[in-house]
Amino acid sequence: MTSERARIWLWRVVILIVLVGAWEWLTGIKAISRTPGLYWIDPFFVSRPSLIVKRFAYLASDQVRLSIWQMALSTVQSTLWGFVVGVSTGFAAGLTLGRNARLASVFEPYIIAFNSLPRIALVPLITMIFGFGLLAKIVLAWTIVFFIVFFNTFQGARSVDADLIHSARFLGGSDRQIMRTVIVPSALAWTFASLTPSISFALIGVVVGEFLGGESGGGLGYLIIQSLGTLNAGDMMVALISLGVIGIVMALGIKQLETRLLRWRPEYRRGA
Amino acid sequence: MPRSRIVVRDLTKTFRDDGREVAAVDDVAFEVRDQEFIALVGPSGCGKSTILNMIGGLVTPSAGAVEIDGVRVTGAAPRQVGYVFQKDTVFPWRTVARNIAVGLEYRGVPAPEQARRVRDAIGLAGLAGFEDAFPATLSGGMRQRVALMRTLVVEPEILLMDEPFGALDTHTKITLHAELLALWEARHQTVVFVTHDLSEAITLADRIVVMTRRPGRVKEIHEVKLRRPRDVIKLRESEAYAREYGAVWHVLGAEFADRA
Repeated sequence: MTSERARIWLWRVVILIVLVGAWEWLTGIKAISRTPGLYWIDPFFVSRPSLIVKRFAYLASDQVRLSIWQMALSTVQSTLWGFVVGVSTGFAAGLTLGRNARLASVFEPYIIAFNSLPRIALVPLITMIFGFGLLAKIVLAWTIVFFIVFFNTFQGARSVDADLIHSARFLGGSDRQIMRTVIVPSALAWTFASLTPSISFALIGVVVGEFLGGESGGGLGYLIIQSLGTLNAGDMMVALISLGVIGIVMALGIKQLETRLLRWRPEYRRGA
Repeated sequence: MPRSRIVVRDLTKTFRDDGREVAAVDDVAFEVRDQEFIALVGPSGCGKSTILNMIGGLVTPSAGAVEIDGVRVTGAAPRQVGYVFQKDTVFPWRTVARNIAVGLEYRGVPAPEQARRVRDAIGLAGLAGFEDAFPATLSGGMRQRVALMRTLVVEPEILLMDEPFGALDTHTKITLHAELLALWEARHQTVVFVTHDLSEAITLADRIVVMTRRPGRVKEIHEVKLRRPRDVIKLRESEAYAREYGAVWHVLGAEFADRA
């Protein structure tokens, strides 16, 4: 690691320590929360790092019916399912419509109409149809991811260089072969650009689903809503921090995959 | 007299521009004999690439027709034709070796034979050591070598080339001329080579079809009387080359001269 990178990491750690330290220290001073306008600097509202650690240990133990691990697993599982289903259907639809101008113009108004609908408005309907379980959360994540991936792949499939297709045709490629060796790889570069936002939006979809889903749906979203009900800021912070960690880990995983699969692009080559 | 492989018959192409019909190619006719190397030369915008595209079936003629081996070209590219584009058309997501293999892959050539032919092609093009490199890491000249070998490896009998070296610097260009001629001497493909570079045309071709300015018509078909095999460097210093250059330049120069 170069000294520049080391310095950057040092600053990151320093900032973390300062923020967490300030949080712990300020929420310990009663006088601040009695100052008008600063009432919220109080463990009741924003909890305290030491308290959060304690709540985390409790939620991770087997003293609770539904442990933080089970809830995190449920959230991750639904997110990944929503992501996988959304990406594959969005990719297939984008590719099909991207290569078929007539089909694309037939479907255009429907796609625009559905995409401009706020997805949150669909939550009650999806809950009515799919109940409170895992499936409803996956469907919700899917409705968001599908369109992100669809629009990107659609653009990608439409903007495939015509001369690449011609040259493949002269080399003897059939329509199927050209689809596989030219159009798909060319469109994939666009699709990949949509994966990082997709995983984040899948997580949003799932958490929103969990807000409404109740205990049978489980998940960290459920923990947040439950904490609101019991005015338990500590548990809420545990859920939020867990979501943050999950979000970062998943985004990094996608980035890794992207770098591997797009290693032919100059901007993804390391070193050099 | 060798038979004609390509017959270009009274070819005309008009494009719609702003509601007006604009003629790009006007009543062009010539024939390409078997194993002949023909260059299509003319000022830019004279429709020479359009003619090549019509021969390859990429553009439909407004009038007239192209016949390859007696069969009229309609749309789909005939099997025996290879096409090298001016633009970089190597697949950026495939390595050099996998790019060269793609045509063999399409034609269902068995893997061991694919590997052998790709290895030979890489050796011929001086690309050894770059088999697993992605195109983004190569120079323009090397990428165009890959494109050329990718086309030649499927052994087309007819080769259509649209200013394939147009984007390269002079030095690389001359090196590639030598390589192309060596490859051509080995197989004697029938070639139609589009260029606006007169010295390129004289170096490579048996006959030069000189085009007029837009709308492109055939101004003259010039026979290049230079012995083969040709040495691209020595050739340029020879008196015969200077004579050929002068003769074609005289015809072509008139096209630029009466522009004003």
